Amino acid sequence: MKIIEKFKKTFFTENPVTGLLLGLCPTLAVTSSAKNGIGMGLATAFVLTGSNLVISMLKNIIPNKVRIPAFIVVIATFVTIVDMSLQATMFELHKTLGLFIPLIVVNCIILGRAEAFASKNNVWDSFIDGIANGLGFTFALFILGSIREILGSGSVLGFRFWPEEYRTILVFVLAPGAFLTLGFMLVGMNKISKLLQGGK
Amino acid sequence: MAKEESALKVIIVLVVISFASAFLLAYVNQVTSGPIEENKKAETKKAIGIVLNTISDYKCQEIPEETEIDDSPVRYFPAKSTDGKIVGYAIIVKGPNGFSNDFDMMVGMDSSGTIIDTYVLDHKETPGLGDGMTKEKFKKQFRGKNLENTKWSVKKDGGDIDALTAATITSRAFTAGVKRALLVFKKLKEGINA
Repeated sequence: MKIIEKFKKTFFTENPVTGLLLGLCPTLAVTSSAKNGIGMGLATAFVLTGSNLVISMLKNIIPNKVRIPAFIVVIATFVTIVDMSLQATMFELHKTLGLFIPLIVVNCIILGRAEAFASKNNVWDSFIDGIANGLGFTFALFILGSIREILGSGSVLGFRFWPEEYRTILVFVLAPGAFLTLGFMLVGMNKISKLLQGGK
Repeated sequence: MAKEESALKVIIVLVVISFASAFLLAYVNQVTSGPIEENKKAETKKAIGIVLNTISDYKCQEIPEETEIDDSPVRYFPAKSTDGKIVGYAIIVKGPNGFSNDFDMMVGMDSSGTIIDTYVLDHKETPGLGDGMTKEKFKKQFRGKNLENTKWSVKKDGGDIDALTAATITSRAFTAGVKRALLVFKKLKEGINA
């Protein structure tokens, strides 16, 4: 039951993107299509889960003074692993996401969860926390990417909403569209969060 | 965690963590570097297959030849028929000044310098706008053209190429890249005749 509650929290009320407004840089940059959003989200989720796991294991060994450098080394290691394995297994996806993967290192969601959760909780809880937050992040990126792709290119994940010849609202696949969509999405997500909390 | 740690412990812990991560990465690198190489080779092979699709019987070497044009390095694969005659070229050039940096593209042409097809190897253009350069609608206008029969710039600049809607910069870069490949061909041809 606790796990379900946790997921409800990270998907809606405390979603890293729409609830806590963390990690907005990759959020805005990669979501020009739903596929990119999912790819980036899952890569981040993997790094987040891995780093949470390791950091919660090492939490008693790492001296307080150097915890941030230690966290960053752990996170960067996972990011590099993701980068290399994606290139080895999913070459096509790596071609589209390539530029953004190294940037996961400085995604503040990951450092934030390490600092706020993994360094204070046990291994199992940190593991769940990593998965929950990672999937919450993926969820937000997927929604944002889908809306932008539908409005901007008229299709989502290869499924066409209207013929290719029709005009689409190009601005949505460009940077300003990311900000606009995110704004409206925040409104919607806040509404959902309120409803969820009111329903308790 | 609040207690004061000795400097020695701080140093040791950081060093140990760094070493552990370095060893782990070295291991992952060893495992993945093979498949990554393979993937890159497969990608190049696939690209050659596409850009030289009208030539039926040819052999291509695995390692590209190198030359340069306008101070930009160029790699190319001469395609040879079974009796060793050159029947075409697959030339890898940079599309200069794309919307997000240069991009790598491959242009295939037959032995007379007529374009067979183009293929973008690696790019960071805007999805939905600039990446239209990889689509049939844009690509088909390049087929059958050569250096002499076409004005190599987009229509907006007085040339013959239809630019992509809302992606003129990408189209310019693409066109310039194709032109570069054609100039490389000319250079190679002159080299052979000279």
